[in-house]
Amino acid sequence: MGIAKYMTSLVVFVALSASAVTASADQLADIKAAKAITIGVDLGQAPFGMVDGTMKQVGSDVATAELLAKDLGVELKIVSVAPANRIPYLMTKKVDAVIASFSITDERKKTIDFSNPYAVIQSAVATTGGLKVSALNDLEGKEVAVTRGSTNDQIITKAAEDEGLNITVVRYDDNATATNAVVSGQQDVYVVAPSLLVPVNAANPDKKIEPQLTLKSFPLGIGLRKNEPEFKAWLDQWVTDNLASGKLRETYKTYHNVDLPDDMASFN
Amino acid sequence: MAYQFDFSFLSEYWPELLRGLWLTLKMSVLTIVLGFLVGTVLAIGRTAHSAWVRRACGVYVEVIRNTPLLIQMFLIYFGLASLGLKLGANFCAILSIVINISAYTCEIMRAGIESIRKGQLEAAQCLGLSRLQTLAAVVLPPATERVYPALTSQFILIMLTTSVVSQISAEELTSIAARIDSITFRSFEIYLVVALLYILLAVAVRGTFWLIARLVFPRLRRLGTPL
Repeated sequence: MGIAKYMTSLVVFVALSASAVTASADQLADIKAAKAITIGVDLGQAPFGMVDGTMKQVGSDVATAELLAKDLGVELKIVSVAPANRIPYLMTKKVDAVIASFSITDERKKTIDFSNPYAVIQSAVATTGGLKVSALNDLEGKEVAVTRGSTNDQIITKAAEDEGLNITVVRYDDNATATNAVVSGQQDVYVVAPSLLVPVNAANPDKKIEPQLTLKSFPLGIGLRKNEPEFKAWLDQWVTDNLASGKLRETYKTYHNVDLPDDMASFN
Repeated sequence: MAYQFDFSFLSEYWPELLRGLWLTLKMSVLTIVLGFLVGTVLAIGRTAHSAWVRRACGVYVEVIRNTPLLIQMFLIYFGLASLGLKLGANFCAILSIVINISAYTCEIMRAGIESIRKGQLEAAQCLGLSRLQTLAAVVLPPATERVYPALTSQFILIMLTTSVVSQISAEELTSIAARIDSITFRSFEIYLVVALLYILLAVAVRGTFWLIARLVFPRLRRLGTPL
């Protein structure tokens, strides 16, 4: 309680002092004038953002940022951000926008704006050994591995309760341990974000964990500062256009090995 | 900074906590009993006539005491599963703790066995007792009584150590607490409650050991003095 209040007032204070320094009317015009855009990307969040063997920045968020800069006709500068400092980097104008697997939440919307969703992070049932799951009923009597306290844990625990299914939820302390349990064969079923499985499957081609059933999709948006109507309108239009042209879908599929939901606009 | 304590989660989650406490208690009792038995057999092995038996037990003790419990647990839970032997989390947890505690118990019991004076062994030989009879009647009872305080503290330590088995998904007290924490975010309060429960458990275990000592050591019972 106390900490949350303190953090909020800190963010507000930083925001106020930042806006006092430069009272620019239109960020979009500024970016075009400077011929450069600075975008925050989380490079520790494979396959959204990562650094490959040759120290090159890659990932679906990196590719999205590159596409965006190209369409704006400006140079791209990528700044590495972490989940905890995404909003502070925006508010202190260290970055113009954030493309960093940033889930759109009401809590965050109080401080910043989001573009229309350009991608999703999913919670899905994945299995090993070719086990087919087309509905939750197929999990009756099975053990399901999850990371303790994660959204996946909450979704499957609630779903099992609501549908009266006999599913044993086996909880591990972190993603790595839960993944280990599935790879080593302790559990055949895993509730996880399919994106996380891409590097795991690349490392264990003999024992692939295949996504079977999507339980829920959380929309991801491009984060920007509030009160930038021109920039927000441009980003919204850009997302809509590139979802329609298939470019964003292609990028996502390349790195995540799953398709974006057909109806992305339903998350708006 | 003023912190507002909020224990309201207890009303909803106390059955879960009790379930965790019960599993912790069951695991502790099982590992203590099995660990004591295996450890005592190992200690006898470490003081055996055959050099090979002595060496084999020595290697076991050194390997186990010089690797972390968590690594042993991961080897059994993930390692064996990779080889195709799928054992449940609770079983693996108990197995790895027994393997671990038996090595420590072995060294404690060996100290007790080696404290028995040679004269007593010679007296047993003169009375015509077999090696097994000597062990059961002359060596082990006073040896156990002598190292009893060390055993007690080691066993309480292992009861507290069961908290690490949440790592391999066994749903004991710590694991349940972590889960309630991830739902309610009242970390401070939850871990205060859990710490209190562990203290109560430790007091109960200590009390049980005190009672057992009074029951099985006649000298302590009648005279109230240690050996």
